[in-house]
Amino acid sequence: MHNIKIACENVSKTFLQKGDTRVDVLKDVSITVRDNEFVVILGPGQCGKTTLLRMIAGFEKPTTGRVLMDGQPVGGPGRDKGFVFQSYMLFAWRTVRGNVEVGLRMRGVPKAERRVISQQYIDMVGLTGFENHYPHQLSGGMKQRVGIARAYCNDPQIMLLDEPFGQLDAQTRLYMEKETERIWLQEKRTVIFVTNNIDEALTLGDRIYTMKDKLPGTLCNCYEVDLPRPRESTDKEFLRLRKQIIEESELVL
Amino acid sequence: MTSHHIANEIHHVVREKKPFSLVDDLLMSRWFLYSMSVILFLGIWYYVVYIDVFGRGLCYPHEVITEIIRLTSRKLAGKELWEHAWDSSRRVFIGFGIACVLGIPLGFFMGISKYFNAVFNPIFNLIKPMPPISWVSLSILWLGIGEEPKIFIIAIGAFVPLVLNAYNGIRLIDEELYDVVRMAGGSHMKEIWEVSFPAAVPAIFAGLQIALSGAWSCVLAAELVSSRSGLGFVIVQGMNTGKAAMVIAGMLLIALIAYVCSFCISYLERKICPWRRDLSTH
Ligand SMILES: Nc1ncnc2c1ncn2[C@@H]1O[C@H](COP(=O)(O)OP(=O)(O)OP(=O)(O)O)[C@@H](O)[C@H]1O
Ligand SMILES: [Mg+2]
Repeated sequence: MHNIKIACENVSKTFLQKGDTRVDVLKDVSITVRDNEFVVILGPGQCGKTTLLRMIAGFEKPTTGRVLMDGQPVGGPGRDKGFVFQSYMLFAWRTVRGNVEVGLRMRGVPKAERRVISQQYIDMVGLTGFENHYPHQLSGGMKQRVGIARAYCNDPQIMLLDEPFGQLDAQTRLYMEKETERIWLQEKRTVIFVTNNIDEALTLGDRIYTMKDKLPGTLCNCYEVDLPRPRESTDKEFLRLRKQIIEESELVL
Repeated sequence: MTSHHIANEIHHVVREKKPFSLVDDLLMSRWFLYSMSVILFLGIWYYVVYIDVFGRGLCYPHEVITEIIRLTSRKLAGKELWEHAWDSSRRVFIGFGIACVLGIPLGFFMGISKYFNAVFNPIFNLIKPMPPISWVSLSILWLGIGEEPKIFIIAIGAFVPLVLNAYNGIRLIDEELYDVVRMAGGSHMKEIWEVSFPAAVPAIFAGLQIALSGAWSCVLAAELVSSRSGLGFVIVQGMNTGKAAMVIAGMLLIALIAYVCSFCISYLERKICPWRRDLSTH
């Protein structure tokens, strides 16, 4: 039941910038994520959150250390690892349906079957009726719903979400968090969710890893959030944890 | 989950209709401003001719129209006016077509393959700053004075913007878009097919527009030098016989044809790229 799905073992990453400047972006990061667990990585801007997630997805290789999935080193990106991008990354030339179906097209799934599967996920993220809209006709929240449906359409074992709601206004953001929880409860997956927002982290996470600011990014602490869902941000325990995290990680809010 | 939940995410901009005065209404009307600008231009033109600034170098605007009508009813160097127009257009189409067939793939492959780029970029960078018209002499030495040198010059003139736009269209694609394909388990070929191609289309269309106007200015240069036909020839005839109306008539016809061509490309782009915000909605 509580198998370890993802494990990062002492992962470090050094980028070469503009030829020969070496930038240490991550240092000695070790995390474990259990099956069907919702893990949040909470860190301030520019601390290597995206880089960490991209390594788990297989887009980048760690400079040292290992990333394991089911005990096997992660080779490269693939449909078993769904990724939701910080800046949406929708294909402007495809409709909502065309974007959601991208992975199915890649696998050569016949059109009729594609329709059925994509419609299921379009309905799931609440975009019914917008199938034939182009991305420029959608609001930010709707764009990210497409991003989420697109990732789910590959039927991944893990979902990696990189600050998916970072560009949304506070109200829409709150709403999208509720939606994310609903979708996760409906389609249980192992989820790693990156954010810089502490309330978002506490609303969604089974467990929260905090990261220090300043490069190279390192892990700070890990918190179990053992609160019943849906969570209330006015709940006493919620507020106590919030205070504790802020104090211990010197988060600037 | 239905669409009304999302309604709060869509922000409709409703412009309020204020009671305008007549002057405000006129100034807000596009067509009014268009006609004002045309009338102003013609007015200045009439005035300049009236006070005789250029002497025989300039005629009244209406004389250009009568000149066009006159030219349609008589032959120049054995050809009617529309035949001259067609000769020029044909040269542009052939030269432009050759440039498209060679230039767009070249720019595209320079964008997607760094080896291809390493081989062709230095040569291309050498050709890029040369004005197309500077090829006139060389092309006559190589190809004589038939159709070939003219088409060659047009092709050169259209070639550079086509390569440049296709190349930049690929280069400016956000790398992360390829990650979407990689995430879905797609191969490198799929990346090119799903992302590079469609993402570069708008830039390629921009290149087509620039290349087309480049082609029309080159056909003029080619025909001014050595030709017995084409609108450039009509213009030269007008110049040699001191008929300003004939020169301007030629210029006007070129502008008209070039405008129609450009309109066709815009139309094609709207058909091919219904997803462009600036094209599909107002
Ligand atoms: N491919 C790359 N090459 C060179 N440097 C990189 C690369 N990717 C990231 N970096 C550097 O790593 C640092 C951390 O970037 P990263 O995007 O991981 O941070 P982040 O925590 O996701 O920031 P944000 O909150 O703004 O999204 C940045 O300073 C960036 O310049
Ligand atoms: Mg980031």
